Amino acid sequence: MDLENQRRVKELAEKTGAQNLIVVLGGAEAEASGLAAETVTAGDPAYAGSLAGVQLGLRVYHIFELKEYVDAQVYDDQVGLMEMVLDIDAIIAEVSNMRSMYSKY
Amino acid sequence: MTQHKIRIVHYINQFFGGIGGEDKADFRPEERLGFVGPGQVIQASLGDTGEIVATIICGDGFFNENIEEAKSIVASLIAKHKPDLVIAGPAFNAGRYGVACGAVAEAISEKHAIPVISAMHPENPGVELYKRHAYILETGKSAAEMRKVAPQIAKLAKAIFDKEEITPETHGIIPRGIRKNYFHKERGAKRAVKMLKAKLAYQPFKTEYPMPVFDRVAPNPPVLSVRNAKIAILTSGGIVPKGNPDRIESSSASKYGKYTLAGLTDLTSDSFETAHGGYDPVYANADPDRVLPLDVLREMEKNGEIGELHNYYYATVGNGTSVNNAINYAKSIARDLKNDGIQAAILTST
Repeated sequence: MDLENQRRVKELAEKTGAQNLIVVLGGAEAEASGLAAETVTAGDPAYAGSLAGVQLGLRVYHIFELKEYVDAQVYDDQVGLMEMVLDIDAIIAEVSNMRSMYSKY
Repeated sequence: MTQHKIRIVHYINQFFGGIGGEDKADFRPEERLGFVGPGQVIQASLGDTGEIVATIICGDGFFNENIEEAKSIVASLIAKHKPDLVIAGPAFNAGRYGVACGAVAEAISEKHAIPVISAMHPENPGVELYKRHAYILETGKSAAEMRKVAPQIAKLAKAIFDKEEITPETHGIIPRGIRKNYFHKERGAKRAVKMLKAKLAYQPFKTEYPMPVFDRVAPNPPVLSVRNAKIAILTSGGIVPKGNPDRIESSSASKYGKYTLAGLTDLTSDSFETAHGGYDPVYANADPDRVLPLDVLREMEKNGEIGELHNYYYATVGNGTSVNNAINYAKSIARDLKNDGIQAAILTST
């Protein structure tokens, strides 16, 4: 996750309280999504950004996991096409694995 | 045994220093006291055995574009702290970062005789260029391995400080290409026969001199119509304009040259010669077409057997040239040829 986004997530968590924040990912690839999920739960695995060593333990989901909560038309317009071409199972497995290991909420 | 805390200075790039991404790659060297970024997890792994007293941050772009200046600034910032040891990176597979870490290692180990630890993926160009100057731990490609690499760095730091003998087998470093003589209790012939017997019996054995691994390149699809194709000619046989204007080395070439063929139909000993030091140059010097057959290609062009011959040729010396260097030349030449609309290239050797 890039340095700027790490800074934003950290600031938001401080402002709203980590327990009140949910991070929704849109990564197109399992490994990258898993790394982003790790960053907002266990801390930046590359130890480069402001979340290095910061275990926010946020709730984190990939948008593919939240389909039933999104207006069908909006979901279809925004991610419908990508849902057909990406490896959804692998992405969800990575993200939910990180969530179950490190999410505190 | 470790007598006191190991004093360590850590070198990292602008990204790991939290300065920014590619947009901040021109960041000039700066110093921070204590640890920054990945130094945090390395310090945690070091525990009480060592202390990162300072961190030097430099943008990869600045370092690689001003390599001599950057090396000297970074080296003096590091030396000021009188460290027992320097850690550069880990750079994983980031090429410019790896080169910077290696160059820092070269400056520090040569000028100040301070040991340097780095960690990179084996394909990082920093490895090939600077492996003699640093103890480089082997990593994967992704920086997500930081947590895994940090304890290895800490362990190696302690081993170096305790003056243990550091070898690829014992400490997981990339071979540095340093040979040490020693007396083996069995002579070479006996060991070789033992290995051969093991090999013939399909038993495991360990070579004493591993051969380099060469990659295999899948051929491109054939050129559909050579008669209409624009063809370029390249050689690793060292044919250069007389006097070797780019001073291409006769072995272990560090560069290649691009030379014009405009208006020429034949290469003669008056204006061309070979720079290659790996074969008898007499015949190539007498008639350079023997290595770079311009005369035949011009005839084929005239007869319509090929569409057109490119007006430049590329040459290097393929004599002990490292595979990594050769790959880099090929990438840059291929890019050039593609930009010039070349459909096929003929590569001649010696």
